[in-house]
Amino acid sequence: MGEPTLCRLGIDIGGTFTDLVLMRGDASILIRKVPSTTDDYCRGILLGLDALLAEAGVAPSDLELVVHGTTVATNTILEGRGARTALITTRGFRDVLEMRRLRIPQLYNLQYTPPKPLVPRRLRFEVAERMGPRGEIWETLDETSVFDAADRLAAADVEAVAIALINSYANPEHERRVAAILASRLSNRLHVTLSSDLVPEIREYERTSTAVVNSYIGPTVEAYLSSLMDRLRAAGVRAPLRVMQSNGGVMGAAAASAKPAYIIESGPAAGVIAAAAIARRIGLPNVISLDMGGTTAKTALIENGEAAKTTEYEVGAGINLSSRLVKGGGHSVKLPFIDVSEIGAGGGSIVSVDSIGALKVGPRSAGAVPGPAGYGQGGTDATFTDAMIVLGYINPRAIAGGSVALRPDLAEAAVAGIAKQLGLSTIAAAWGIYAVAAANMTRAVKAVSTYRGRDPRDFALIAFGGNGPTVAIEIARTLGMRQVIVPPAPGVLSAFGLLCADTEYVASRTLFRRLANLGLEELEDVLAALSREARADLARDGVTEEESELVRGVELRYSGQAYELGVALPSGQINLEGIAAAFHAEHERTYGHCSPGAPVDLISVKVIGRSPAGVSAGALSSLNGHGPRAAKEEIRITHFGPDLRPQDTPILTRPALRGGSRRGPLVIEEYDATSVIPPDCTASVDLSGNLIIGIEQPQ
Amino acid sequence: MKIDSITFEVIASALSSTADEMAITVMRSAYSPVVRDTMDYSTALCDHLGRVAAQGLTLAVQLGAFPEAMRHLIEQFGDDMEDGDIFLFNDPYGSGGQHLPDIYVIKPVFIGGRLEGYAATMAHHCDVGGITPGSTAMHATEIFQEGLRLPIVKLYERGVPASPIFRIIEKNTRQPVQVLGDLKAQVSACASGERGLREIYRRYSAEAVRFYVNELHDRAEALMRAEIAALPDGEYSFVDYLDGLGENPEPLAIAVRVVIAGDEITVDMSGTSKQVPAGINCPIAMSNSAAYCAIRSIAAADIPNCDGYMRPIKVVAPEGTIVNPVLPGACAARGVIGYRVFDAIMGALAKILPDRVIAGSEGGPTLVSIGGRDGERRFVLTEVMVNNWGARASLDGPEGISNPAANLSNQPIELIEAEFPLQVVEYGFVPDTGGAGKFRGGLAFVREWRLLGEEAVFTVRSDRRLHPPYGIGAGKPGSPSSNAILSGDRRQELPPMPMAALGLKARDSFRHVGAGGGGYGDPFERDPAMVLDDVLDEKVTPEGARRDYGVAVDLAAGTVDESETARLRGSAGTRRGQERR
Repeated sequence: MGEPTLCRLGIDIGGTFTDLVLMRGDASILIRKVPSTTDDYCRGILLGLDALLAEAGVAPSDLELVVHGTTVATNTILEGRGARTALITTRGFRDVLEMRRLRIPQLYNLQYTPPKPLVPRRLRFEVAERMGPRGEIWETLDETSVFDAADRLAAADVEAVAIALINSYANPEHERRVAAILASRLSNRLHVTLSSDLVPEIREYERTSTAVVNSYIGPTVEAYLSSLMDRLRAAGVRAPLRVMQSNGGVMGAAAASAKPAYIIESGPAAGVIAAAAIARRIGLPNVISLDMGGTTAKTALIENGEAAKTTEYEVGAGINLSSRLVKGGGHSVKLPFIDVSEIGAGGGSIVSVDSIGALKVGPRSAGAVPGPAGYGQGGTDATFTDAMIVLGYINPRAIAGGSVALRPDLAEAAVAGIAKQLGLSTIAAAWGIYAVAAANMTRAVKAVSTYRGRDPRDFALIAFGGNGPTVAIEIARTLGMRQVIVPPAPGVLSAFGLLCADTEYVASRTLFRRLANLGLEELEDVLAALSREARADLARDGVTEEESELVRGVELRYSGQAYELGVALPSGQINLEGIAAAFHAEHERTYGHCSPGAPVDLISVKVIGRSPAGVSAGALSSLNGHGPRAAKEEIRITHFGPDLRPQDTPILTRPALRGGSRRGPLVIEEYDATSVIPPDCTASVDLSGNLIIGIEQPQ
Repeated sequence: MKIDSITFEVIASALSSTADEMAITVMRSAYSPVVRDTMDYSTALCDHLGRVAAQGLTLAVQLGAFPEAMRHLIEQFGDDMEDGDIFLFNDPYGSGGQHLPDIYVIKPVFIGGRLEGYAATMAHHCDVGGITPGSTAMHATEIFQEGLRLPIVKLYERGVPASPIFRIIEKNTRQPVQVLGDLKAQVSACASGERGLREIYRRYSAEAVRFYVNELHDRAEALMRAEIAALPDGEYSFVDYLDGLGENPEPLAIAVRVVIAGDEITVDMSGTSKQVPAGINCPIAMSNSAAYCAIRSIAAADIPNCDGYMRPIKVVAPEGTIVNPVLPGACAARGVIGYRVFDAIMGALAKILPDRVIAGSEGGPTLVSIGGRDGERRFVLTEVMVNNWGARASLDGPEGISNPAANLSNQPIELIEAEFPLQVVEYGFVPDTGGAGKFRGGLAFVREWRLLGEEAVFTVRSDRRLHPPYGIGAGKPGSPSSNAILSGDRRQELPPMPMAALGLKARDSFRHVGAGGGGYGDPFERDPAMVLDDVLDEKVTPEGARRDYGVAVDLAAGTVDESETARLRGSAGTRRGQERR
């Protein structure tokens, strides 16, 4: 049954499982879930690979491309296991990294302590030099101060160094000279990052911090990717290895090793990319993705088929409570990220009653061990999953196709404990847990929609991850959304997203000029230079000019504002009036007002070089019916709020809906997820195997 | 109505996420650096009675100022509000304002023809006229010199903008584009607050929302009462001082007597200095707010940030004092007193809650406004600068952090240099400035601006030179602040609160060093390993380590010299109790 044509492999590593998705030349798909081997992730990958290739009858040499989503970069920071890193900065600005932006994510907490900087003060060295804001040299670089710094770096035995000088975004000359001197004096094994190379944009703290993060995780990511590459080669894989970036594009392993700050949110990005591919496939340009796993739920906005991006991100801040106001808990990374809002609500989230008697779900999680009480592994805290068992939503005998046996009695006992504290029945408390978790996630959905001026009612919700399809409809209902889509194989969708992702490089430059004073020719020159840069990056991954496309954009703001809005440029001729008009329109849309008479500043220019993956979400339809195909319809008692009376509910598999749409209550059970459809909703399956759920909303 | 804790949580969460959304709208669409980068603004969602139901995650110390503003608004316009009206005001005398740059924009929200709440915002505007650019001069003697005084007026009437008011504002500021832009951002935030409230009412009946909001207030009140009841009854006093005005400063006292009786707490500021003919008097709205904020901060429980928690807290501030001035008291730079009220309450509570308070912090934000002409263009840079906390019972005071009563940000140096004819010469920590203690106070910061243009004037509000941030127990005070003009090789020392606008010529610099945070506990009990870390990080010098901590460091080896340390600490044992330095 082996296909003679070439195959692609996606590998997505999560805290609990490593998911592999293989797409054969005929676009048919096979998936495999293996436990993650946290001591050495490569071992798990190789085990899964062997099994999957054997099942597919595919030889390792038949793979043309391997795409990887990894948490190695984030974990290195969360666990504080990065390289011993130094920072070289301008005299007078040694503490920019530690001062950060001063703000903290909590009010009224006098015991708060900010996170330690990734480079301690003793390893931050100053050199004498100064650039001006227009790239003019205010003070020439004193090379003896660089020699001194180099000696101190050598004595301190550092493994990585970041160079971040004031105003280097406007002129990188001094940073480059410092790097050259260090190279001549120090071991070439040092991982070096120039802030002007990684992120040539204005704002010294954000640029410095980004360069430091890159250096700090650099040696670890480099070692990991090179070890994975070696072991894939040893297993006979000849295909190139590419890595998912936080912005949803993929880049070659060599580029990822040099600029690992680009792959921090590798995993979450892949799920959003898959959701975007599905949305395009079914002709819904505007959707919100909801990915709920064991510990967190993540949402993202997809508009006109593209995931919304941000460059304001912090790594190491723990779970982002969905509001961009909450800053200062981590380390700034000013690179493009898919704008994912995260909240600490997953299947393992622990339920508690707080001091004012309010019910809380998460952010603490029971994790994989001991897990929910109903897993019977010794956990006693009630979790979200336990409440789902009590409500009859989750199969009380076993999940994951029978591989995990459940103890509904223990789930019920745990939820009963919460019910007692609230003076409610066990069923009512379970419904409360469901409703509160949904309310928390509603906040995450609002953070990516209403917070940026988008009305969620104009969007459909795509739900995936092990628990997304269980809770999605309640969230959609709260926000007035009318449609929820559950794609096939919702539990491994992120791995599939790796195969849909385009190879992508971003080249950017800060201009900071009044738009009216900017010559069109100058803008075109910058665009041309950035286009060459992006094309050169693609060429290093073997992408030809014919296979690639360029997307150009500018970031603008009214003179005096601090935050830019992005405007895409048309592919052909551009004109400055058209750019200004597009900006006024975007400002009106996002904030509800604009000032067409006010001066506009052009802050930065971006060119994205892209090589489309050429994979359609339609490929997923070959997975339609994956999992148990039991035709016989089972009935289970479930409870839905607000009345909570017991209802006989058909338990179906997805193919059973092929015949046409059915009205809730229904539960769709699959190998890797459970979809819950309340009484006033209808469910059907489309030709690609997507579960389409319609919600009745009050007018 | 029966309380359903699930509906309660869902409504409370929706209210606070709406207030946050309002704050994001202001941040992202504001024009002036002081609003957009420093984030000197606040948002709140109030219930139908005008009581704060939720606060955006912005400035802690401003939350408690909304009640005074709402009280005046409802007294004056309670029976003259219609759908589409938006109110605007800043007057501290008769409108509940704090100082003239802080402009309130508040929109009553009507649902089903009935007033159901208010979307409220307050932002520090970069200039509202007055004697110096930035409108925060300390040397005004009456409010009439401080800029545009706005009583409560309708900025929009039934959705129609009142263009005369926009034009009056436009003509009374040095920065019309930024001020009008920031006002638009506030109006925009009110609209998003209104939208959020409507969403809540779409899901729940008006009766249910009112019921649960009441419940929110009641639970917050009950929690705060329980916190207070757990404290020992009694009176606890503390006096903190401001350095005073101008060249020959007379100290100004903030006298605080905290009276705990059962489940109520009174902050009595009788004995505080009389109001002064300078712009530092602190109108009652902010004095109240600082007191609420301090009490809220020492509570152990996570209490909802709504009106209910303020009910058991009573503030007594006699009229005519610097904490409750009367007309024509100038108040442009009132924050220096407002933040000190917070510090003084901490000092009083240190006696009964040593584990929850912090030692004296740097003294509230230093406020610098630099204005001038750059060719054809007028410019004003307003910086509100914060940096450190005092030490805690088991933690050092952090440096590189916003004031505990505020949540302000610093402005990117590169943005300042790109937009203004200024160079920031230095911005960083200063070694040996954190108050010594078993736990060290946060280090002071230095920031120096050099004028690259022809001429500019600046004003500075700072403090904590003659009365540095206090330590707790045997902890030492932090280092004092300083202000200086550097002109070539000349250094001109300035008083903490210069009572005039000062001139800068091309290439002159203004250099400000903040105060260090106070220490906590005996410095000779500090773990020598922590002293070593500070020395290796050059936060404490080797000499400072010997002098202040009795710790000798072998720099070459990167270790503590144990025997020398024992000798230093041993000999100090006999000295201890006496006054060192």
